[in-house]
Amino acid sequence: MDIKREDIVHLAELSNFSLPEKEIKSLQKDLQGIIKYISQLDELKVDDVEPTYQVFEMENVWREDEILPQEADREALLALTKEAKDNQIKVPKVL
Amino acid sequence: MKYIPTIGIECHVQLCTKTKLFSEVDNDARGKEPNSCVSPVDYALPGMLPRLNGEAIKFAIRAGRAMNCEINASSRFDRKHYFYPDSPKGYQITQFYHPIIGEGYVELPSGTRVRIEHAHLEGDAGKLTHFKDYSLVDLNRVDTPLIEIVSMPDIHSAKDVHDYCKELWRLMCHAGVTNGDLYNGNMRFDVNISVAKEGAKELGTRAEIKNLNSFRSAERAAEFEIKRQTKLLEAGEKVKQETRGWDDTTGKTTAQRSKEEAKDYRYMPEPDIPPINLTSEFIDAEIAKLPLMPMDYRRKFNGVITDEILEVLLDYPSLMIKLNEIEDKHVKIISNLFTSVLLAEEKSAKYLNDLPDTRDLNELAEMNEKKELSSTATKEVFLRLFDPQMKGRGTKQIAKELGLIQENDLEALEKIVDIVLAKPETQKAQADFKAGEEKVIGFLVGQVMKESHGKANPSSVQEILRKKLK
Repeated sequence: MDIKREDIVHLAELSNFSLPEKEIKSLQKDLQGIIKYISQLDELKVDDVEPTYQVFEMENVWREDEILPQEADREALLALTKEAKDNQIKVPKVL
Repeated sequence: MKYIPTIGIECHVQLCTKTKLFSEVDNDARGKEPNSCVSPVDYALPGMLPRLNGEAIKFAIRAGRAMNCEINASSRFDRKHYFYPDSPKGYQITQFYHPIIGEGYVELPSGTRVRIEHAHLEGDAGKLTHFKDYSLVDLNRVDTPLIEIVSMPDIHSAKDVHDYCKELWRLMCHAGVTNGDLYNGNMRFDVNISVAKEGAKELGTRAEIKNLNSFRSAERAAEFEIKRQTKLLEAGEKVKQETRGWDDTTGKTTAQRSKEEAKDYRYMPEPDIPPINLTSEFIDAEIAKLPLMPMDYRRKFNGVITDEILEVLLDYPSLMIKLNEIEDKHVKIISNLFTSVLLAEEKSAKYLNDLPDTRDLNELAEMNEKKELSSTATKEVFLRLFDPQMKGRGTKQIAKELGLIQENDLEALEKIVDIVLAKPETQKAQADFKAGEEKVIGFLVGQVMKESHGKANPSSVQEILRKKLK
């Protein structure tokens, strides 16, 4: 699989960060190498193997529907935000 | 050339569990301060682990069964990635590959069936409020459990859009999985619409109208969109595949964002929540808790209650459960009292969760049928059965205390009639009646009623009077 310049730009957009031009080239090379390395797995025949969803072999882990007091309150949440207003988190306008 | 609309609907239902889907936080944020029902799990502080709410699994089983759906013994959660301020995790936990609810169908009152493709569990997003140059985020709603119900494109008219949305709402309310409060966004509808020439092999390009929060808006938006797309096609233009928003005041849909670039959500299995593998015993135990569904009631009460009254009552699950307990022969009168007296009351919403004993209602119907209570008295006693001060005393006692029991004892009535007929002021009326003046019987009945302090049964009184004045 060829990693193209557009792929890197697209991934950067999805991850919501900006990428200087020179890093695009080097990332392109790195990602190409990673994909090639992982692609070795394609050689294995896995048609009869159940896909692995998790490795702990646990199932049906759930809890009772009971409200518990929380240690972190609203102030703790708002303290983590860049800006708060009227007990809400203030963000640049989005639509 | 005729154009036929083809419509599929996605519906999000907020479940009324006590806590959220993945944290032990109060799930009912109605009337609470913003960001007061939030745990670090909801906003994904590093190291926080989601803990699945078992009750949501049970609710999903009941919701699925209410829509005649297969319940998948094996289901899993996945992450759906996107960046938006309403979701601090950067992803939504949903069921993309293995949903808990499989195929089924919803039958509309008209008999039309709309197939369900699947339905899955997922966490809701937070709430954004937009201002002139900033937006505010309230995370109370983050990870409220949702079921997203995806229908097949089986709907072909705006009216069926309305009926499908309403029937889904009823099914979820009867299944007891949601508060069903549309005003507070407990159910939201996304309507996918395309139109194509009648007989065309391929469907037209579709537009999606997002976030409709009432049956009426869904219907109106569909109506508008069918017209808009038909007009475009008739003019030889193309319909763009896009997301559109609905404005209730202008009655129009407008383009929001173009769907040209397919969304890339990078789904992956949710590593923090192990798979769910349910035994058939577990599933059956949940299904057994379901009361009758609207279609069951329609079949059961067909011919007993008029469609008009039944369709009103079906909006109130507690009334239907009560009606189902009432003796068959009393169902008609009790259903009439529910619609014409109870639902007409200003405080009826308060009464719905605290209905009178079935025994008291049966007795009330019985007294009415035996003419021990006039229809006015029946209504009065009926309302007293909801009165916290009086209920519990029993129908008979209440009727007695209010002095509303009609005198049906013919002998006793005859005595009262005789007293009245002996009075000088009734002599003229008696003579007039005997001379053929029918009307004055009303006056005489009135005199007897007065003498009996309103307890006499007027039709029995009239019968006795006619016999005596022959």
